[in-house]
Amino acid sequence: MSFNDVREVQEKLEGAGYVTSREIATVVFLASVTDKPILVEGPAGVGKTELAKAISRALGLQLIRLQCYEGLDESKALYEWEYAKQLLYTQMVKEKIGDVIAGAHNLKDAVDKIASHEDAFFSERFIQPRPLLQAISSEERVVLLVDEVDKADPEFEAFLLELLSDYQVTIPELGTKTAKVIPYVLLTSNNYRDMSDALKRRCIHIYIDYPERDLEFRIVKLKLPEISDTLAARIVDAVRAIRELGLKKNPCISETIDWARSLVALSVESIDSRVLADTLNMICKYRADAQMVKANAASVLK
Amino acid sequence: MVNAILKFVACCRTAGYRVSTSEVVDCISQLALINMLNEDEFRSVLRANFAKSRREQAQFDRLYRLYFHELRQDIDLDDTDATPQKMDQLIEQLQKQVRGSENHEAILDFLSGDPMGFLELIRRVQTEEADPEQGRKFNLGPLASRLMVMVQLNDTRSRIDRIIEENPFDYREETRGNLRRRFREQMDRAYDILLREPRPHNEGVQQRTHEQYLGQLGERPFSALTPQEIERVRELIDRLVRKLKDIMSRRYASSSRGVLDAKRTIRAAGRYDGVPIDIRFRKKPPKRGKIVTLCDISSSVFSAARFMLNILYSLQECFTRVHSFIFVNRPVEVTKVLEEEEINHAIVKVLREMDIDYNAQTDYGETFRQFRKNHMDTLNKKTTLIIIGDARSNYFHPEDRILEEMREKCRRLIWLNPEPESAWNTGDSEMFAYKAHCHELRECRNLNQLVAFVEELIL
Ligand SMILES: Nc1ncnc2c1ncn2[C@@H]1O[C@H](COP(=O)(O)OP(=O)(O)OP(=O)(O)O)[C@@H](O)[C@H]1O
Ligand SMILES: [Mg+2]
Repeated sequence: MSFNDVREVQEKLEGAGYVTSREIATVVFLASVTDKPILVEGPAGVGKTELAKAISRALGLQLIRLQCYEGLDESKALYEWEYAKQLLYTQMVKEKIGDVIAGAHNLKDAVDKIASHEDAFFSERFIQPRPLLQAISSEERVVLLVDEVDKADPEFEAFLLELLSDYQVTIPELGTKTAKVIPYVLLTSNNYRDMSDALKRRCIHIYIDYPERDLEFRIVKLKLPEISDTLAARIVDAVRAIRELGLKKNPCISETIDWARSLVALSVESIDSRVLADTLNMICKYRADAQMVKANAASVLK
Repeated sequence: MVNAILKFVACCRTAGYRVSTSEVVDCISQLALINMLNEDEFRSVLRANFAKSRREQAQFDRLYRLYFHELRQDIDLDDTDATPQKMDQLIEQLQKQVRGSENHEAILDFLSGDPMGFLELIRRVQTEEADPEQGRKFNLGPLASRLMVMVQLNDTRSRIDRIIEENPFDYREETRGNLRRRFREQMDRAYDILLREPRPHNEGVQQRTHEQYLGQLGERPFSALTPQEIERVRELIDRLVRKLKDIMSRRYASSSRGVLDAKRTIRAAGRYDGVPIDIRFRKKPPKRGKIVTLCDISSSVFSAARFMLNILYSLQECFTRVHSFIFVNRPVEVTKVLEEEEINHAIVKVLREMDIDYNAQTDYGETFRQFRKNHMDTLNKKTTLIIIGDARSNYFHPEDRILEEMREKCRRLIWLNPEPESAWNTGDSEMFAYKAHCHELRECRNLNQLVAFVEELIL
């Protein structure tokens, strides 16, 4: 499951509801042929997470998602022993212990005999796989999305690094597990902190910015096929002008879409300052931002 | 092609990028996979491999443009007049004139299509630090060397004009026109590189001016508070700190469970005839990063400083590992004082009695140099570094490179500026230079902004 060339990436992703620039498509294509992870950076809401989802849809692969946060550790990301199950099993097989130690001459013998069976309690049966182990042990290629890695601690980053270099993990009691198929890995970052050089070196880097005019227009048309070209163009121009104002929070793509959707629902054909004022809460999350846009309505709607 | 890429990589490195060999190898093998004739694809591959963060991209794009579009490229020129060869002839003559002057030679190499020496020269000028040994503390060092390069560029320009005028090889008038034009283009580019030094892109920086309604008082700038109001604000801060501590301990109680606690599980199983029904887990200690604060207490921010100290004090109570420094022209650690004394005493003591010259001129550059020398080991990848100050540094050398080093050492660098945003970058404020290296930058001149910040930091 992969792409043949950059064009095909663009077509298939568009088929999956995601419009890409040539640059994004190039990186996606390279990652798919070189089996390298992609590190996606960019402001909020430009479609970083969505890119991974779209790839999984486009290729018909399962998406496994690991959401990172401060304090995320291996037991949440890789695997955890199911203690409760282990202990209950211990109880249930209590009676069997007589059979196991039958013929033991002394205590030491008995303990040795029990020990030779302890593997049974550290087998995959008692492991609860978390996203990373799921991705590694999958029989088929999967898309592994490690979302917002910048939120995780540096230790976790180091661990991830190890995993991404040879796609294998070691579970002390069970040995080393190597991926049968290398997963399609995407890491996203909001730039909360800098990622280490070592991690960057393993990845193909892409910065997704707010889209070019034409791209955003195509996104709106794709999401809302019923919208007229003129209205879509007006919306995109207005949003782009708003992004120039230097707000605390710039409207992102999903806000453009939401705004377009509500304008269509209101059967508006052109945007004047009344319409803008009435629907402003779709694009501005802060009061001060909304006021700023109102004050600059003339230049926004130009 | 490979050769061109390797040369470009060399340029990237001279311009200060860390490009590893594995990245070069990756890049070259990836180029084989795409359609190189499509420039978008070609550029994407180079960019994905060489500029690995947003902050590097502006410079990368310029370097790319320079190298692949603007540098003298003689191939695509349908020039029957053999201008390139003639340019080289003249450059060779000029080289004889300037032999021995490294900078001049670099400029001439640039004109002949090899930008390395010149880029190296520019990088030296841009990264030059004030040399404390020589007592050259002012911004003049780098300014002077920039001026020198400018003089040398001008000198080269007039040498070119002169040699075309003298016309030692008897070129036709039309040829001389061509030469003049092409040399001028190249020289303009060299100027551009010297003057338009781009600051790293830093759109990741979060700038905020949160509003929150603690009533009128919350919106009043610290500098405008009356003595009674100051008392009120103190109380409010006190209350805030208590509230935060409550929230934190509650969060600790319900915090996610840790690994199995075998001892306690077995003990609990005793009650159920040895069946471990009640599984006990070890509680994880609250995981909190380290905080290092660097607080300007010079007179320009004095009214805000006492509140900042208030906050430092409370941070120290909330976080397990805090280092607090104050500075005017060099950092002094005050962690102990804040730990041992009651809050009001501590603040008075910090503002009056520390080993610091309260009347000195504020000098951020010197503070950073000293910090690097003596306290760099307080920073690691778990540290949040908070710098509080107006970035007004009396035109001393700002040493923003050191701030960049500090950013690279720590997890997150947050700058709180007690001046209104409209005043940043005016006069001797170096906020613009420092901004490029902050993860977060916020105006912090009244209680509401301060409260919003502390809440976000802790919760
Ligand atoms: N290129 C695109 N084509 C189609 N839809 C897009 C595109 N980019 C973004 N979107 C829309 O924008 C929405 C937001 O994107 P997404 O949640 O992936 O953003 P994000 O970058 O991950 O944001 P955050 O940093 O907040 O996690 C998506 O649900 C999708 O509908
Ligand atoms: Mg996301």
